[in-house]
Amino acid sequence: MTTTVPVTAAEPAATPAALLPPGLVQSRRMVWTTRIIGMAAAVTVALTVWLGLWVTPPDKVQGDLVRLVYLHPGVAWVALYLAFGLAAVASLLYLWPRTRSLFWDRLAAAAVEVGVVFNVCTLISGSIWGRPTWGVWWAWDARLTLTAVLLILFLGYLTLRRVPAEPDVRAKRCAYAALFAAVDVPLVHFSVVWWKTLHQGATVLNANLSPEIHGSMAWTLLLGFVALTLVFVWMLLVRYRIGALEDHLGSGELEVALLERRNEGAEAAR
Amino acid sequence: MKYVDAGYGIVLGILFLYGVQLVWRRRRWTRLVARVEASRPPADPGTADR
Repeated sequence: MTTTVPVTAAEPAATPAALLPPGLVQSRRMVWTTRIIGMAAAVTVALTVWLGLWVTPPDKVQGDLVRLVYLHPGVAWVALYLAFGLAAVASLLYLWPRTRSLFWDRLAAAAVEVGVVFNVCTLISGSIWGRPTWGVWWAWDARLTLTAVLLILFLGYLTLRRVPAEPDVRAKRCAYAALFAAVDVPLVHFSVVWWKTLHQGATVLNANLSPEIHGSMAWTLLLGFVALTLVFVWMLLVRYRIGALEDHLGSGELEVALLERRNEGAEAAR
Repeated sequence: MKYVDAGYGIVLGILFLYGVQLVWRRRRWTRLVARVEASRPPADPGTADR
């Protein structure tokens, strides 16, 4: 006599994303949009590197150092105008009573964090270009100094976000801080016009709006701008998502701490 | 070329590492929220309408 054991298909383990509350579940379209932007960013960055390092010719005056120009203005564009500009607009929309929503606060926070990373890249790439060109790693030039001040101001913004407070209080406080810091953005932009600086003037967005770069060099520079903008958008989407998840648990920090302690206890008991 | 190589290496390296860190943070927070939600006791249906 044989006994048959009922066989039931094992249930597939639910992924963490499937266990999220309805308000935090991302639509398939959003997930795919983020992935496609990420892939497009990777491809365009690779193309920029290939064109910048191997295809474009060396410059008559700067030689191979011109290749850094395909990267440096792009990261500066993202940090100053896209990231910090967006942070200022989002902060303004948060402070405006009709549009007040924590969405704008979260967007500003995401833009500032990504912007700080790009700001660091701007200062480093500029410094590496400056050493063989000007003979120094750093000069207390108006544009360089104001860009460093911008970094410090937005680092202050990120520190302010860590100060414990009610979400609305924190959002309002940070929105004012972002607007205060963003005043430095036009100062950085016009510094090469208002003061006699070591840093060269605008190559593309100059007063006559006639770019002083041509041919394959111009196309590579343009591609660099597109590539780094895509990198920024991808990072912004991912960082915004982290902010949404953090805010969901923000009010229940004790709950999270208890859960982590319980997990630690369970692991220690094994 | 050493300055150019260093510039590309450092800038792209920073962006790459930050990108990886973002993905890791997103995964960690997703897991944490899912765990907290799973550990929450279900809402009492008798008190739902009160």
